[in-house]
Amino acid sequence: LVGDESAVTDKKYSRDFLLKFAEHWTDLPEGFEISSDMEALMTSSVSSHVIERDSH
Amino acid sequence: SSATSKPVVHQSHPLENSWTFWFDTPTAKSKQASWGSSMRPIYTFSTVEEFWSIYNNIHHPGKLVVGADFYCFKHKIEPKWEDPICANGGKWTANYQRGKSDTSWLYTLLAMIGEQFDHGDEICGAVVNVRGRAEKISIWTKNASNEAAQVSIGKQWKEFLDYNETMGFIFHDDARKLDRNAKNKYVV
Repeated sequence: LVGDESAVTDKKYSRDFLLKFAEHWTDLPEGFEISSDMEALMTSSVSSHVIERDSH
Repeated sequence: SSATSKPVVHQSHPLENSWTFWFDTPTAKSKQASWGSSMRPIYTFSTVEEFWSIYNNIHHPGKLVVGADFYCFKHKIEPKWEDPICANGGKWTANYQRGKSDTSWLYTLLAMIGEQFDHGDEICGAVVNVRGRAEKISIWTKNASNEAAQVSIGKQWKEFLDYNETMGFIFHDDARKLDRNAKNKYVV
């Protein structure tokens, strides 16, 4: 269940709601440019980057 | 039927505000004469999907180099005291040991972009400062003298983070004049 009506009208999203999207959006936006001074910020591997969820 | 009046946009959940990520590193800082001049906007996003597209490809605080500052501020608000919207503001700060702030940083971002604060209009943005032994997350607000709004933000933020320590609010004006001697004006 992704779109509930209150979220559409108020644009308020709970943490749990937002976390549902985490693993589906792993590619950088089109046209995103990585300049040399941003190298320290970017991860080299997308696949190694998984959001920690409550597992216990 | 009025089914045609509102087109459904798939896979896009607009945020109430647009937000800009900013990044500053020690390497960049050393090349520049004055503080703040090496700080640069990375990307401005306005949907849930765009947020994750960036977040999933950048280091979290624990993996950033010591000295790095990473910001998420509302679009068109610069994360500087000099910004007219920030000038009369202040900040709440949560302190963590090095490598321990990743989850809180994410929860801070999600609470902001998901508009979970009752006084969300008061918020300018958030920053994580990565230092030798510590990681510090701050939320910057607009009108430091509006105590009720600041205290509400501080209390809610503590709940979102499940933060058990005392949290303090410092006026930018005091920080500017007194630097490290600036005292907390509010605590929660």
